Amino acid sequence: MSIFTEEQNGTRHLLMGNEAIVRGAIEAGLDVAAGYPGTPSSEIIETLAKYAEKNNHYVEWSVNEKVALEVAAAGSFSGLRSLAVMKQPGLNVASDFLLHLSASGTRGPMVLLCADDPGALSSINEGETRFYARLMEIPLIEPGNFQEAKDMMKWAFELSEEIRNIVLVRTVTRLSHASGNVTLGERKESVGKAFFKNDGFILDPMEGSVMSAPVAYKHGEQQVKLKRCAEIFEKSPFNVYEGPVNPELLIITSSICDLYSKEAVSLLNAEKRVGILKLGTTFPLPPKLIEQYLAKADKILIVEEVLPFLEESIKVLAAELAPTIGAKQFFGKANGDIPMVNELNPDIVVTALSSILGIEYKEVDEEYKKRASEICFFGSPARETTFCPGCPHRASFFSINKNISMDNRSGFTCGDIGCYSMGMLPGGFSTLKTLHAMGSGTGLASGFGKMTKFGMEQPVVSVCGDSTFFHSAMPPLVNAIHNNSNLTMIVLDNSGTAMTGFQPHPGLEVDATGSEAPKIDIPSVCKGMGVNVEVCDPFDLAKTQETLFKFLESDGVNVLVLKQICALSPEKKGKKMFNMSIDDSVCLGGECGCNKMCTRVLSCPGLIWDRETEKSTINDVICIGCGVCASVCPSGAIKKEEA
Amino acid sequence: MPELKYDPYNLIITGVGGQGNVMSSRIIGNMMSLKGFFVTIGETFGASQRGGSVMSHVRISTKETVSPQIPKGKAHMIVSLEPSETIRVLMDYGNPAVQVITNTRPTHPIGVISGQAEYPSDQNIEEWINEISSKAWFFDATEMAVKIGHPIFSNIIMAGALAATNELPLDREIFETIMNTKFNPDKAKSNLEAYDQGVASIV
Amino acid sequence: MKISGSNELLEQIQNNNLCVGCGACVGICPYFKAHKGKVAMTFSCDRTEGRCYAHCPGTETDYDVLANELFNKPYEEKPIGNYIKIYGAKAGEKAVNGSFQNGGTVTTLMKFAMEKGLIDSAVLTDSIDMIPDPQIVTKSDEIGNFSSTKYMASPTVSKFNEAIKMGHKKIGVVGTPCQMKAIGKIKSNPLDREEFKKPETFLIGLFCTWAVDTKNFIKLLESKTDISKIKSMDIPPPPAEVFILKTETEAIEIPLDDIRKIVPEGCSLCPDMTCEWADISVGAFEGRSGWNTLIVRTKKGEELINSAISEGYLTVEEFPDENVTHLTKGSVGKKKRGLAKREELMKSMDQNDNGSATAPSVVGFR
Ligand SMILES: Cc1cc2nc3c(=O)[nH]c(=O)nc-3n(C[C@H](O)[C@H](O)[C@H](O)COP(=O)(O)OP(=O)(O)OC[C@H]3O[C@@H](n4cnc5c(N)ncnc54)[C@H](O)[C@@H]3O)c2cc1C
Ligand SMILES: Cc1ncc(C[n+]2csc(CCOP(=O)(O)OP(=O)(O)O)c2C)c(N)n1
Ligand code: SF4
Repeated sequence: MSIFTEEQNGTRHLLMGNEAIVRGAIEAGLDVAAGYPGTPSSEIIETLAKYAEKNNHYVEWSVNEKVALEVAAAGSFSGLRSLAVMKQPGLNVASDFLLHLSASGTRGPMVLLCADDPGALSSINEGETRFYARLMEIPLIEPGNFQEAKDMMKWAFELSEEIRNIVLVRTVTRLSHASGNVTLGERKESVGKAFFKNDGFILDPMEGSVMSAPVAYKHGEQQVKLKRCAEIFEKSPFNVYEGPVNPELLIITSSICDLYSKEAVSLLNAEKRVGILKLGTTFPLPPKLIEQYLAKADKILIVEEVLPFLEESIKVLAAELAPTIGAKQFFGKANGDIPMVNELNPDIVVTALSSILGIEYKEVDEEYKKRASEICFFGSPARETTFCPGCPHRASFFSINKNISMDNRSGFTCGDIGCYSMGMLPGGFSTLKTLHAMGSGTGLASGFGKMTKFGMEQPVVSVCGDSTFFHSAMPPLVNAIHNNSNLTMIVLDNSGTAMTGFQPHPGLEVDATGSEAPKIDIPSVCKGMGVNVEVCDPFDLAKTQETLFKFLESDGVNVLVLKQICALSPEKKGKKMFNMSIDDSVCLGGECGCNKMCTRVLSCPGLIWDRETEKSTINDVICIGCGVCASVCPSGAIKKEEA
Repeated sequence: MPELKYDPYNLIITGVGGQGNVMSSRIIGNMMSLKGFFVTIGETFGASQRGGSVMSHVRISTKETVSPQIPKGKAHMIVSLEPSETIRVLMDYGNPAVQVITNTRPTHPIGVISGQAEYPSDQNIEEWINEISSKAWFFDATEMAVKIGHPIFSNIIMAGALAATNELPLDREIFETIMNTKFNPDKAKSNLEAYDQGVASIV
Repeated sequence: MKISGSNELLEQIQNNNLCVGCGACVGICPYFKAHKGKVAMTFSCDRTEGRCYAHCPGTETDYDVLANELFNKPYEEKPIGNYIKIYGAKAGEKAVNGSFQNGGTVTTLMKFAMEKGLIDSAVLTDSIDMIPDPQIVTKSDEIGNFSSTKYMASPTVSKFNEAIKMGHKKIGVVGTPCQMKAIGKIKSNPLDREEFKKPETFLIGLFCTWAVDTKNFIKLLESKTDISKIKSMDIPPPPAEVFILKTETEAIEIPLDDIRKIVPEGCSLCPDMTCEWADISVGAFEGRSGWNTLIVRTKKGEELINSAISEGYLTVEEFPDENVTHLTKGSVGKKKRGLAKREELMKSMDQNDNGSATAPSVVGFR
């Protein structure tokens, strides 16, 4: 009995935003879906994949986002309904294909769903999807709540069918990863039959070749489609106004900020003074609709997350409309009422509103706040994110850091994206010295390795996860080899895409749906590139360090694959490799010259430093028995016993 | 639909990544949703799951879907799987009327493990939480959970405890229904046991 | 005298490039490691007082403590340190032959000391592919394998730390002035640790004007020849001003000026040429190839040498007065240069730090 396989029209459920999105796509009659994992979007492909067989969908985890978009586009070109899913940085990766796709147009309905992460709750950027709509000249729609997440997703396919171009749907973490009530709708039949027509008249959008040339012609066609969108958007039910007929202040907002705005208005009891125009269609804007509401108020507050996308478009419209609607006073990012970094919340909107409307607002009694802050200072020690107990990355970074220090030539490690990005933090011994986009660690290392020409003698190391290896680290590795660079690339192979929830990748024997699939062996790939490769178990600190020393001191490109399964992987979860214990008679405690190598340095959450006995103890609730601490204790006080 | 003490009722479930916070909020949310309430759950997970603080905002309303983030200072109830996290949440979302149910078993942050920071004493924690809440319950849910078979059951124990406060119309039947549809009979049984022990912890 | 921790050690010594890599801080905790002739700290430590700091020959040193330990009297500032007698010496007819650097005095005496039971272990220095490789030796017939000079700065003291840990009670050590100074500091148990068991020692100091940085030395040698072919190295007496590498087939000369460029910064602060903190000190005998200068400094040293001479293991002759004068001159010269350099460094550090109290203390280099 699953809402992802059955009709259940009219029933009401508590769904996560991403689940609502999935249901929307299913109701639209989806055929093909492809994506690459990325928080907060991953559950979409995951859920679709789980039910793919029952629903007769084709669902894949692609090697990266550009390929995902291409695979989905092939579905569309074959006349099917297709969906590509990614987080915002993935859109950057896919953007080159998107530029050409948006000009060539689509056939079967095609939707691109991008999840942004304002506030970087699970990212190292707060990149914006919305500006791509403008740049690529494609329609953008943004659901504002859970019901809309489903409904607008379904509608996106209809819109794409109508204009024959890709439709961009943007969600954000606070919608995708939040849950709310959704009433289900009717399921459309899938298309189910694929055929790529290609022998018609070359300019025929449905039967000719699919391409972005002749450029001026295709570009023109694309802009006609966009104009059509603006017309459709004028009547969209997803653009909603709530409030008095003539509000003192008009809030224009979109996405999850609608709920923040509503909450803020209600906290101030300002329902009679403020109206909210929530836009579901944010590019191209429907000019008549906007004009209608702009005309009603003199003061306009624009509430949106991160950059002033709506704000700027609306101001341009307002300037054009000034002769008819008069001059308006705008509040938002430009005047500083709404910040241009970080996510929003009801409190930020309340603060802006209370200053504009002159209403005083106190979140809580001052005395209480003061006391609670004092208590928190002592009562709530900072909780830094760190590697899980038993994480292979902790052991890997321990070795990397130790070797680079001992090597004593100011060597450094270029980081990459994954759980192992935490190698930047003290819990990862602050080993990583650069951190950018997926694959960039090895790209940077390839460059650093050539700086020898200018006297740089520092050994260069890059790390990269197994999923990242396939996603985008192979080209920079090829680059390094071909250009005779000097670096040690360390592939931290934990048999999955851990950070985003352990999705499979081409290095594994399963695909997205759990079926058997050919696996691509990383060491063989590297060998094929003609480079020296060795594989070690990072839990074997001695062997790992010996190999790494060798690589640090040799010229050219060397690849060290550190292979050990993620502690959270379904395979390992709950199973201890070793039963760990501490021999109290051997542990020298606080007096030991090691100065708490186990707890202070290795700082695995599975260990506790007992302040009373001044000795180390194992936290049995947390320890998963990887055994690494036993290799780290110089006194041999930590014992491991095969579990 | 029964009336709520506050509308929306603002519940925060907090803890440390890996303690089963998300599951707990989903089950409570589902129990309320099945009763016909509008439930909105806002969650922080992702990077913060790796040993960091996690928090779910569960908001229950008779009228509408609301913001997935509770405004600062507006929590009605805090259910916490880790004592120092209770205090962290109280600072941002607490108010003189807030109530608290907290697991007393600490999970030490790495700053404490590595000796840079100190973890407060059990006694201080209790005193402080009592001072900045209107009512607070304390018990070692981890210990109870380990006895049932796995520390993870502490999340269900907390759900049972919440039900026993009668702050929200949570009833055991719905819980049982959810368990039976979600889990195999064995797991469902352990979860029910956890729930009942949670109920019994509220006196 | 203030004893600090590893952070201060890094700040004052390592970060100022003053570490000579003697290994005094290695082998007492898991943090300091010797690798390829260099000493490095792997992870940070927050102790405010540490043996690493206390043992380092570069940090502040109380010379009276060292002098009392070896000579039973306070420090007297003398050009070539405290001594009883100076000889010209070489291995005697009973000694086993070997590829000695000079007269083989060092090898022969260490062997003799072990055979006589004066020591149960010896800390000696070998090298592998030009990387210094200090070891603990417990069999007297292995001592000969360590003959000849490795000009690289070597973490030899790390093995002294290890020998103590292993429980050796009578330890012989051959080492350079910085290494011997560190051993004196270690023996004084500066942190008054209860569990410290002071070993008996027999210390043979080597004369030293400088050592070379291992990695740079290897680079330099590789630019001249295939290093695996090098059989021996030597510095012929002035005015040659060259460093000679001998292979099976050729002798390669490297100008001393090129070698001086790769001397660790820390060496230039060292005021000790004749290795004052040892039972006996041994160097080349200028003008007499195949012979050593031998300075007898302690009673223990004197006794051993007397029996080695009488049993035919050591051949000695009077050390000419003009050579003593010459040695004194060289020694004073090194002292002056070392002290001047130290002044200069202290000044520049003071300037850098605006004369604040955190200016690293390098008082040790007196
Ligand atoms: C770095 C260095 C610089 C020197 N500079 C001078 C100098 O300027 N003037 C001078 O007269 N003599 C100097 N010597 C000493 C000289 O080279 C001979 O070592 C000494 O004369 C003893 O000769 P031998 O034939 O008795 O030694 P051998 O019997 O050949 O024995 C050599 C001994 O030296 C030890 N040894 C070798 N290399 C090292 C090292 N790097 N660190 C510690 N111990 C080591 C070995 O363990 C061995 O026991 C220096 C020695 C070193 C190591
Ligand atoms: C372009 C892009 N796509 C997706 C992501 C999301 N993402 C962050 S970490 C990660 C997983 C990397 O997996 P892997 O390299 O195997 O490292 P692990 O987390 O397993 O250590 C992904 C996909 C991203 N940050 N950027
Ligand atoms: S999820 Fe896996 S890879 Fe990520 S921190 Fe935890 S154990 Fe390490």
